[in-house]
Amino acid sequence: MSKKTIVEFSRYPVAFVALFAQIFLIILMFLFAAIAFAPPPDPSGQGANLGRQIAGVMIYGFVLNIFLSFTLWEIGFSIREEQARGTLESLYLTPASKFASLLSRIFAILIFTSVFCIFGVLMVSFLVGGLAFQNVGLAMVVLMFSISGFLGIGFIFAGISIRLKESAQFLVSGFQFFFMIFSAQFFPFSSLRAVHPAIVDYVSRWLPVSYSVDAFRSLLIGMPEGYPELAPLGVEIAVVVAFGIASPIVGYLVYKWVERRARKDGNLGEF
Amino acid sequence: MVDRGIGLGRPGWRANLDIVLTVVISRLKIVSRYKGMLVTEAFLPIIFAAFPLMLGFSIGGPNAGANFLRNTGATGVADVDAFYKLYMLLGACTFTVVTLMMWLIGYWIRREQETGTLESLYLAPAKRFYVLAGVSTYAFLRSLMIFVIALSIGSVLFGVNPLAGNLGVAMLFYVAGFLPLWGIGFIFGAFIMKIKEANSVIQLVQWVIAFLMGIYYPITFFPGWMQYVAASFPPTIMNDGVRSAVLGIGNLFGGEWWVPFAVLLTFSLIIPLLGYEIFLETERRLRRTEGVGQY
Repeated sequence: MSKKTIVEFSRYPVAFVALFAQIFLIILMFLFAAIAFAPPPDPSGQGANLGRQIAGVMIYGFVLNIFLSFTLWEIGFSIREEQARGTLESLYLTPASKFASLLSRIFAILIFTSVFCIFGVLMVSFLVGGLAFQNVGLAMVVLMFSISGFLGIGFIFAGISIRLKESAQFLVSGFQFFFMIFSAQFFPFSSLRAVHPAIVDYVSRWLPVSYSVDAFRSLLIGMPEGYPELAPLGVEIAVVVAFGIASPIVGYLVYKWVERRARKDGNLGEF
Repeated sequence: MVDRGIGLGRPGWRANLDIVLTVVISRLKIVSRYKGMLVTEAFLPIIFAAFPLMLGFSIGGPNAGANFLRNTGATGVADVDAFYKLYMLLGACTFTVVTLMMWLIGYWIRREQETGTLESLYLAPAKRFYVLAGVSTYAFLRSLMIFVIALSIGSVLFGVNPLAGNLGVAMLFYVAGFLPLWGIGFIFGAFIMKIKEANSVIQLVQWVIAFLMGIYYPITFFPGWMQYVAASFPPTIMNDGVRSAVLGIGNLFGGEWWVPFAVLLTFSLIIPLLGYEIFLETERRLRRTEGVGQY
């Protein structure tokens, strides 16, 4: 299945280039938005340091956002694509493992996403005159467990796609944006707190994705004062590890349950 | 329903109108079955507007509004905080309209290809122009509805008043901007028929559009040559026109509101004709070679 995904990718080179260009455009757009709010230049250089810190918060948050988005789309929405093409039922008639079939959808995109992210970080680093890049080892551990946790969310969305059909596309978009805002993927949690502290206390703190974002970027920007914002680093890492272990298990169980119901109702291939 | 006369019957104007209406009604019926999608769509512009606002808070703190005003060079603004919030909301709403047009017209062809109905459509005794007119009318109705709902909800959430400016002129820009979008949609549809992979192309183009039309910033931020490229792009003029009318700020062309409006109208005459011609030419070529249904 992974090979099939890679072959499919190779058949659509425009898609690959488009994906690559799209990431750079989004980053540039947010940088221009940040410039629109930039304070006047200050001779002490503190403004420039703050600017680099915010750029780090934004781009490292963006890295997690992009992994989460691609996981949701590739696992969640590819099931919907199989439905629309009429190949989902045939796939279920093959003696292949359903879990492997779900998981295989993500490998190719994870490899490509990693490459995109490296180039994205390098571009921002060039544009802002150098980004902080510290605690790389521990940050990578956080990233690995975070991706594992995202897989679980992807499995749940795969199940939801079977049930909701066309609306699933917008639900995936909706959740993608929900995490972008409430897990503060492009800005610090202090911005959300400035809108209303309850947003952080009653929404963000309850989302494991928030801890992934906070721990990952706090580590990479060198844990400046005020970071991590949600909890001490040890607690955040513990939450991320638990999320990375429990989420795929829970996600797959949810997917199996939805799939069983759809097979019983006979609407697995309906769209 | 056909013209009178001897020989091959040709559909009359009522039959053609019927094709347009049938397509619009069928599309509306289909979309009405996906209510969740419509609700999500209405909230997308609000979310798009929220990102830069959050970024603004984190960078500028309490001075976010003042910084934004200074950096964008806007003058004569009474309520600084309301200004930048409405600026972002209008940009995000206009962007949603533009991107929806791309998806609804461009992806329509791909969807028909995928479901295997595109070739059947070509065998039906209906002129493609009227089918496309139906799809475009549906796209216009749906995007207008999303624009109004998103602007209304967003204004309440952000505590801004879009009615304080000249909403009538803004709507004129919106309607005039629809026609070039129609043409761009045709060009897009032709491109998708040719290269097949619609999703990624639409996604890329939607971000190119977002970048060029300056949904979060004025295009004066761009280097000189890029400003000219962006300003000659109809969605940029549409976005700028809507913003300048509602916020009471100067427009890209520096004159009265009718100057950019006249430029937009010129595009409205040229681009739909050009787009339709490109669409027909691509279609002719494909029918001669691999056929339109292959994907």
